[in-house]
Amino acid sequence: MGQIVPHATLPAQAPTGALAAAGDAHQVLTFTLGGELFAIGILNVKEIIEYGQVTEIPMMPGFIRGVINLRGAVVPVIDLSARFGGAQSTVGKRTCIVIVEAPTGEDGLRHDIGVVVDAVSEVLDIPAGDVEPPPAFGARLRTDFIAGMGRVAGRFVIILDAAKVLSVDELALLSSLDGAPAQASHATHDA
Amino acid sequence: MPAPLRLTFTDDMTIYNAAAQKAQLLEALDAGQDLEIDLSLVAEIDTAGFQLLLLAKREASTRGCAARIVAHSPAVREVIDFYRMAAHFGDPLIISAREGEPQHG
Amino acid sequence: MDELLAVFAQEAREQVAAMEAGLLQLEDNPADHDLINGIFRAAHTVKGGAGTVECTFIVDFTHAVEGVLSRMRDSEIQANGDLVALLLACSDHMASLIGVLEAGQEAPPDDLALEGRDLKHRLETDWLGATAGHPAEKIDPVHASGGGPVAGSDCWHISLRFGQNVLKSGMDPLNFLRYLATLGSIDSLETLSDAMPPAAEMDPENCYLGFEIRFRSGAGKAEIEQVFDFVRDECELRILPPNSRVNDYIELIAALPEDPLRLGEILVRIGALTQAELDEGLTLQAAPADTEAAPAHLPLGEILVEQKLVQPEVVEAAAAKQKQVADKKAAEARLIRIQADKLDRLIDLVGELVIAGSAVNLLASKAGLSDLGEATEVVSRLVENIRDQALALRMVQIGETFGRFQRVVRDVSRELGKDIELVIQGGETELDKSVVEKIGDPLMHLVRNAMDHGVESAEARLAAGKSARGRLLLNAFHDSGSIVIEVADDGGGLNRERILKKAQEKGLVPPGQTLTDNEINHLIFEPGFSTADQVSNLSGRGVGMDVVKRNITALRGRVDIESEPGLGTRFAIRLPLTLAIIDGFLVGAGRAAYVVPLDAVVECLELQIDSDARNVINLRGEVLPFIRLRDLFGIEGPRPVRENVVVVKIAGQKAGLVVDQLLGEFQTVIKPLGALFRNLRGIGGSTILGSGEVALILDVQALVQIASRTEEQRRPAPARPDALPALAASPASH
Repeated sequence: MGQIVPHATLPAQAPTGALAAAGDAHQVLTFTLGGELFAIGILNVKEIIEYGQVTEIPMMPGFIRGVINLRGAVVPVIDLSARFGGAQSTVGKRTCIVIVEAPTGEDGLRHDIGVVVDAVSEVLDIPAGDVEPPPAFGARLRTDFIAGMGRVAGRFVIILDAAKVLSVDELALLSSLDGAPAQASHATHDA
Repeated sequence: MPAPLRLTFTDDMTIYNAAAQKAQLLEALDAGQDLEIDLSLVAEIDTAGFQLLLLAKREASTRGCAARIVAHSPAVREVIDFYRMAAHFGDPLIISAREGEPQHG
Repeated sequence: MDELLAVFAQEAREQVAAMEAGLLQLEDNPADHDLINGIFRAAHTVKGGAGTVECTFIVDFTHAVEGVLSRMRDSEIQANGDLVALLLACSDHMASLIGVLEAGQEAPPDDLALEGRDLKHRLETDWLGATAGHPAEKIDPVHASGGGPVAGSDCWHISLRFGQNVLKSGMDPLNFLRYLATLGSIDSLETLSDAMPPAAEMDPENCYLGFEIRFRSGAGKAEIEQVFDFVRDECELRILPPNSRVNDYIELIAALPEDPLRLGEILVRIGALTQAELDEGLTLQAAPADTEAAPAHLPLGEILVEQKLVQPEVVEAAAAKQKQVADKKAAEARLIRIQADKLDRLIDLVGELVIAGSAVNLLASKAGLSDLGEATEVVSRLVENIRDQALALRMVQIGETFGRFQRVVRDVSRELGKDIELVIQGGETELDKSVVEKIGDPLMHLVRNAMDHGVESAEARLAAGKSARGRLLLNAFHDSGSIVIEVADDGGGLNRERILKKAQEKGLVPPGQTLTDNEINHLIFEPGFSTADQVSNLSGRGVGMDVVKRNITALRGRVDIESEPGLGTRFAIRLPLTLAIIDGFLVGAGRAAYVVPLDAVVECLELQIDSDARNVINLRGEVLPFIRLRDLFGIEGPRPVRENVVVVKIAGQKAGLVVDQLLGEFQTVIKPLGALFRNLRGIGGSTILGSGEVALILDVQALVQIASRTEEQRRPAPARPDALPALAASPASH
């Protein structure tokens, strides 16, 4: 309870593009999703749990997987793959739920959100010099979701901007406007 | 019973001296003996000073001893009179011919 | 904020509220001495408490208020509309000052300080002014004595208690008393040093003295008061004119800080009350007494009376004061103040315990050990008891919330130039604190709306053959697990014709559509609807009745309207008693479990239909439309052979919910779904089952609406059976 995480220097809180100037190394958690490598600032991550017992919420777009019981608290679970406009991830052996502290919504409260990923890889320090601004296009992802492109072992890792990807306000708005079909399997969403 | 202790105030019994005089009074009372208070040299007394007399009387009786005012200056007598406490204090008010002069030492 | 301050602030707010309530009653009963005493005590308590926490700005201001109240109590001035209005403004100001203290500020901000100075000035010049020609309504003491025997003395009685700081401020009581003596003669004087603390704490530079004085003088009261002008803020001065009533002395005793019995003796000793008056008092007591003092005699008091030392009334007043002290002590002993969030945490934990307990039960029944099963049964029962008790801790009476509206109704009716009386019933009805906190705003809106649009002007009322005075009723009662709060007026009723016309103009109702009276009534809750032809500054401030409805719906409640043209309108808000717990009926559909609120459930039966063509069943000759949860929620997989129907009733409308299994009744702790799902309709929340799984709580009313709109959309062009309408926020319509 009550951890106060200093957010000022987090990639997640920094405005897009301001990252390269930050100077510090970025400590990130990398994970795979649909065969691609993504990263998220480690300070946003509260814990990682095994996938299981997700209660589906009907009448919600596919990127909302449902809710889980996290030690007595009911926490929503987001399907990142669907959030990025693809199909829902299929649950495999290594599927995990990364519990992330989502940025403050309009209610001024912090919320925990679970994010479904195919597999969690490792925690990395990416030096600031190895972080490039997001490309104008070509990443096949909304540019505002990308905090930066990290160079890791000769390939690029997309560092996600958690504030944008997991914006409670945007997610809530989308799920009300969307009126997505209840069947989760073919839910898509173009942001 | 040991002989009563005598306390003589020579300064004015006003608010300016009240704190010091309170300490003196309590110290004397702490000896556990009857106390004779000589106020014949007190040229001026105000309500703060008068309160100290009330305090002395009360504290003495709670300690099971007596605090008697054995000599009053006119100023003291006037205040006690004005506050109609002479009967309550029960000390003999001696109007002496040498009024205003030092009576004891 | 430190705890002492917090406690003071809380108590002071209560006292200010009591003061306000008293003042409002005083308007109708300006001569009620009990009321005045109560108001005085409240102000006095605030001042005393503020002194304890060394908050000088509250002490200063309250002192002036107390001064005026004290004069009212002494019947020197009489309450009138102006005075009550001024004192109400003062009580508001005191509340603001308490706010300043709570905010941890050293002194009130400039605007508040200015307001305080202005109020204080008005108090002092208009009502405390000792100078000639002030507008205070002075009462001839002889004239005022009609109510009781007169203490036969031609002396003024002056009761003085000096503040501790007078000596340090360079003022000596001696000088004032000597000056007083120049106006007449001090017949007798008793010096009281009861306030002097033990030697160790006695500050020799503080003043602890008080005086009871018999003063013979031809001077008027103003002149006597003037003597003490310089110490006005630093002393408590009470003056009884010559020939005051015995009763006045008794009240004096009650108001003074010293031991009443001792005061009674002193008053007799210094001649305030004489032997003759004692006899008079005794005669009076033998006759059917018109004294209001409590009949309780204490042994010591009786002895004193027998010995004719003090008058019986004096003794009675003393006894009453002793009893007050005793009662207050007892009440304090029975009450503990705790922080609300500690209670919330306890309730959360108990909720977790209930969930963990059901997990144990589940394991026990799986294990098939009967001993273990029985033991866990006992534990569960105890846990449930604990939960009920914990929830009961949060139950508070609604009366306090209602009470606040006295002031609102008074102020708003003045603003509107209407004469409206507020009647409160059922104030003792209890409900959860969290609900009480959230119901204030909707209630405020309904009350203002009723006063603004409901109750007509006095002329219109008289023309309609009604009393000029409008009546507004606030009522509360429990009804099968809910609390019903009513706001009713005896005004003109809703003008349905105008409402309908307006709704059609605004496109809320398609032309030509016929609506029932009830449906028209509910149009006023539509967003953007306002019947006020002129936007008044009360109801037309941007938020409308739709907000009321939305707030109430958010509390799992609903509003009903009854309106009779010419007779009035009644809004009935129905709310759950607590937001933390729900009695539910657990059902299964697909792999998931859902909770239907039990109060909506009428009965359960097996689904028997011949075809899938229509979603209706024959319920003992009644046509019952149903919703198949699997369809609505898009649950995949084949239907079970046997399906069940839960018959629900919401707002008078019956519907069936078709589910796979019926899993039984279930009381559960509600877990809100959070901000992410704030636009989700049809699901009211969630709960955690014994298995650890999350189950969703169905919002039956919203489900019925969703289903009926789906059907409507289907009419023009049949869509896929599982297609759903947009679920964005949309107004309710019945």
